[in-house]
Amino acid sequence: MTSGPNHAAKTGSALAISNVSKVFNKGNSNEVTALSDVNLDVHTGEFISLIGPSGCGKSTLLRVIGDLTGFDSGSVQVSGKSPADARRERLYGIAFQQAALFDWRSVSKNIELPLELAGWDKSRREARSAELLDMVQLSEFGTHRPWELSGGMQQRVAIARSLAVDPPLLLMDEPFGALDEMTRERMQNELLRIRQETGKTIVFVTHSIPEAVYLSNRVVVMSPRPGRITAEISVDLGERNELTRESDHFFHSVTAVREALRLHDTSGSNMSAHRGDI
Amino acid sequence: MNSKLSYVWPPILIAALFLGAWQLLVVIQDLKPFLLPAPSLIATEFSNGAMLMWSAAFYTGTTAFLGLLFGTVAGLFMALLAQRFITVDKLVAPLAAGLATVPIIALTPILNNMFNITSRTPRVLVTAIIVLFPIFVNVTRGLMQVNPVQLELMRSLNAAPRTTLRVLRIPNAIPFFFTGLKIAAPLAVIAALVAEYFGGPQQGLGSRIASAAANTAYGRAWAYVLAAIIMGLIFYLTIIAIEKCVTPRTTKTVKTT
Repeated sequence: MTSGPNHAAKTGSALAISNVSKVFNKGNSNEVTALSDVNLDVHTGEFISLIGPSGCGKSTLLRVIGDLTGFDSGSVQVSGKSPADARRERLYGIAFQQAALFDWRSVSKNIELPLELAGWDKSRREARSAELLDMVQLSEFGTHRPWELSGGMQQRVAIARSLAVDPPLLLMDEPFGALDEMTRERMQNELLRIRQETGKTIVFVTHSIPEAVYLSNRVVVMSPRPGRITAEISVDLGERNELTRESDHFFHSVTAVREALRLHDTSGSNMSAHRGDI
Repeated sequence: MNSKLSYVWPPILIAALFLGAWQLLVVIQDLKPFLLPAPSLIATEFSNGAMLMWSAAFYTGTTAFLGLLFGTVAGLFMALLAQRFITVDKLVAPLAAGLATVPIIALTPILNNMFNITSRTPRVLVTAIIVLFPIFVNVTRGLMQVNPVQLELMRSLNAAPRTTLRVLRIPNAIPFFFTGLKIAAPLAVIAALVAEYFGGPQQGLGSRIASAAANTAYGRAWAYVLAAIIMGLIFYLTIIAIEKCVTPRTTKTVKTT
């Protein structure tokens, strides 16, 4: 297990998780240890992916970071603050597998939602949403309704919304999971471009090994029962381009992640997955 | 245009066939009006008594409208309270089922005694109580059945419950509100009509139907029924028109990425 506390010391810590545990239904017969002694440091500007089979706690970990659920022990620091304070101060943006846009709002108004709640005035909101629409290349669609857009376009709107208040951290919970393969690859490139432009720190949950490798600086492999981090694999692909996915380097990294996943899978392979993704 | 016409013609054709068959049946079988008056008789009575029809429909329509208005306001208010205090969506369905079994119209004689029987008040009250339930049940459902991911998004944006209500729950409940209103509007007309059967002022459609039938003026009784049907339709279509204005969801062609 290679954790990277040294990175954090060098460039500032975006996220520091130490010894975090979380148990669902504590004390009941259906008690589940969702997270067990999780340690993770993410430095500013890093792109990390959380990968693992259903029930490994990757979504739970993301929700702990975003203060959408609590944890039982350990400590979590988001930009040096508790998750609750970070949420109150809007230090992160989040995108889910569902775009979860509001049908009764235009695309622009959907992007402006976080700004409205943060108390921005109208002219600033409109300027910002125009800027973000431009960034996700949907400038012509501001006045459209979400249901007039394709799945990929809706997800781009959701990403624009998550960037609205310009938070330093982006949490993404399988945002491309419902898209077809072609759209998915295009979206991955879009995300990398946006990241390049904005310099965000990104924590990305995914089921897909190639997706994790293609996007990340570091792939964090998790395994279930109890949910824990079992490996961290640094990926150094340099500048991504159309040849990256066919390079030897890419295949080596994919193989490394696959083997890390398999290593911990064999121990529990005869146990059928009896729970959903927690 | 052509496709629009093809929607209009079939029901008109069926209605014409139905009325023709009805007329034919009455004439051939020589049915007496107390069994079944001919459509021609009903139409004659309707046009002869047009002014009376109009004033009776106006009286009952006003009762229905006031009941619909007060019932809707009360139902909305109760739904907001329920959303605030009932945290489990599952409670709404049994509550709705329980309320649906209450025979509210049977309250009319009691309300007639409680309030001034010579006034419109007890009738408006019965109508309002009947209207209240579909509004309450549907709006509560709309306020509670919110996409959990959207709720999570609101939490991530540090939204207060009041903000979530305004920004997410209420807009989410609007289609549910109209579903409730479309059930409530015809119910309001029925309630306003039937409430007149239990005494009080006699100028409404319900009273007129009862007295025409009692006086063996069957054609006239049916003409009043026809007026009641038209009134119910007007209520319903008005609601549909308002819904169309408020929620313009004309599906356009879906763009591709």
